[in-house]
Amino acid sequence: MLLSTLYPLILISSLLCMSLSVASNHNIEQPLRIAVAANFTPVLKKLLIEFHQQTNINTQIISGATGALFLQIKHGAPFDIYIAADSIRPQRLEQQNLILTDSRKTYAIGQLALLSMNKKSRLSDLARPPKYFAIANPDIAPYGKAAKQTLQYLGLWQQYQHSLITGININQTFAQVRSQAVSSGLVANSQLVLNKLDGVVIPSSYHHPIQQQLVIIKNRDNIAQAKRLSQFLLSPKIQQTIVSFGYANNALLLQEKAPHKKVQQEKSNAKP
Amino acid sequence: MPSPDLLALAVTLKMAALTTVILLLIGTPLAWFLAKMTSRFKVIIEAIVALPLVLPPTVLGFYLLIAFSPQHLPGQIWQQATGQQLAFSFSAIVIGSVLYSLPFVVQPLQKAFEQLGDSVLEAGAMLGAGPIDRFFTIVLPLTKASFITAASLGFAHTVGEFGVILMIGGNIPGETRVLSIALFDHVEAFDYAKAHVLAISLLIGSMILLAGVYLLNLPHRKTRK
Repeated sequence: MLLSTLYPLILISSLLCMSLSVASNHNIEQPLRIAVAANFTPVLKKLLIEFHQQTNINTQIISGATGALFLQIKHGAPFDIYIAADSIRPQRLEQQNLILTDSRKTYAIGQLALLSMNKKSRLSDLARPPKYFAIANPDIAPYGKAAKQTLQYLGLWQQYQHSLITGININQTFAQVRSQAVSSGLVANSQLVLNKLDGVVIPSSYHHPIQQQLVIIKNRDNIAQAKRLSQFLLSPKIQQTIVSFGYANNALLLQEKAPHKKVQQEKSNAKP
Repeated sequence: MPSPDLLALAVTLKMAALTTVILLLIGTPLAWFLAKMTSRFKVIIEAIVALPLVLPPTVLGFYLLIAFSPQHLPGQIWQQATGQQLAFSFSAIVIGSVLYSLPFVVQPLQKAFEQLGDSVLEAGAMLGAGPIDRFFTIVLPLTKASFITAASLGFAHTVGEFGVILMIGGNIPGETRVLSIALFDHVEAFDYAKAHVLAISLLIGSMILLAGVYLLNLPHRKTRK
């Protein structure tokens, strides 16, 4: 009986092994593997259509949480380019000497927005803490950190302590508000644009800029293709498209040409 | 080129089938050893086997990720032996699944072996059957139902696995992207239509598998009572 249970399993698995190995032998050229933060994935998918038309480079998207992808790259994940939702993780990879020199670039500046599904939201609504209010976890998610800074800037952080529902990332926070499980919350403006929802953009002076950065991983086979993608994403035309998806104007990009001034700029941005 | 979700299905089935085969091969001797063990260390081994039941999958996945990475010894040994990196490979998710589904195979088998009286085996020995012969002609037919349960639970649990694979797999299409991760990706991308399709097929598939197991075990249970 054991054998008769096993035979079909062995048969299935060996057939699958064969079919998959045949399939993988077909594409000898490895596609460009892009590890991308989940909240940028829908935008990237749209942009990659044009990228493929321009360059004929095949790509493979691995979407995940910025932190999880960071951990995997640290432990040798076979990704060519890492498009993160923050600047901390790319910086750390740079410090650990895992990326191509000078490949760390800010490709988008995130915008925070107030979303409420059951009424038209106004910025003044923030003054009265609702029973529950959704933000991403300020300790691990860049949009959560900006949400905390916003509430601190408005002097409301203490008052909100008992109403905060914190999601592990901004996607969870968005899902909580959109499903009306939580009446309102601070989400990414890009999520509102993609889902055609109305909200209020939080003025960028309320929090530190949410710099989303990308890096090219060292010692991979597709470095030339990864560079093409980086250039493509930073090109003026694509930058405009990214802004149209609900991101702020990427003023930092202009300063990157003068690296000495950049440090100062980051410092002056530090205090909203 | 098959659709991404079909590819994920193929990877899932391949992973679960291989995991089940490996689990039966190592789980059977382990369960037998545990069933016959009288030493006080038995409880410790039993606890280790049961650990994946209570350990959060992400914790297990995190430590496996460290172990499998090229910077650490297990990952290095694998790389030297096979020439390929272990972390983020298909082999990695199979090894992770074997560890994670171990109690689901070992526990039913151990229970079955414990309930098996020594007398039938002694009778077999007196008739001149060797240990291997006794296993295949006496133990196996008597514990058939438990083997089916163990294999099906191991298979089903591996299909539903998420946390461990999320950590050590790296979500690579055709290699380590399994159904549960593809489903998670759809939810993350707010592509609820695709997510619903995957969720409902996983649900129906698991339902059929489990109902099949209980159906197969039904006459056996009746005759016992």
